[in-house]
Amino acid sequence: MLEMTIHEKACRGCQLCLDVCPTKCFTFNEETGKAVVAEVGNCIACLSCSYICPSGAISHANHHEVQNFYRNIHFSQRMEKFL
Amino acid sequence: MEELLKKRRTLQETMNFMAALSAGIEPILGRGANSMTMSAGRNLGRKFSEGARHTDDLLEAIEEVRRILVANSCLWGFEPFKPVDQHELVSVTENGARQVSLVFRDCMIRQALFRFGHPQQGSLCNMMYGFFAGALESIMGKKASLEIKHAGENACLKVLTVEA
Repeated sequence: MLEMTIHEKACRGCQLCLDVCPTKCFTFNEETGKAVVAEVGNCIACLSCSYICPSGAISHANHHEVQNFYRNIHFSQRMEKFL
Repeated sequence: MEELLKKRRTLQETMNFMAALSAGIEPILGRGANSMTMSAGRNLGRKFSEGARHTDDLLEAIEEVRRILVANSCLWGFEPFKPVDQHELVSVTENGARQVSLVFRDCMIRQALFRFGHPQQGSLCNMMYGFFAGALESIMGKKASLEIKHAGENACLKVLTVEA
């Protein structure tokens, strides 16, 4: 199952992750001034939060990583007929 | 093996050319570029789904589109998605249209765009909209649209709407 963690010490509370997440996985804790994962079940592993976070505080585990089609022999074999 | 590696390079070059072409036509044609790629995608969707099974069930139709893509050697990994607080995959809008969210993972368009540093949600992405519209017109006999809700680095979230 997909896991998502925010490293609390690294988070600066900029809320960019809240803005970029299309499925509202995060909430903002007003007391601590930091983002928290509210609903990991909604995460589609687009990794936009992870890319946009200025301090690299967000990490994912057990998710599907996109495959570079041009480095995948199996993919190339199947695409042969278009070439 | 050497032949395959050669074809792999050709594939990469073709996709990079496609990305450059799409980025090049956008400033010239403006919104017309989207119409052009959408139309090309729709024609492809219609052509590929000529012998497809007809159904009125949206989820079955999506599975049929997936089967068509695999049968035609197009590896576009997508899956239906619903937020935790939503009960069913398919929701119905006020005007009776059916909607389902789709998450696209492995996508050679995205990879080609990133390789060239082009932005997402451009005319090439619109080709997939056209493909779904064309394929679902054949399978369900209804108009469909595929709106890009979010274009991410590792996955994209799109909303498929089929008119009542």
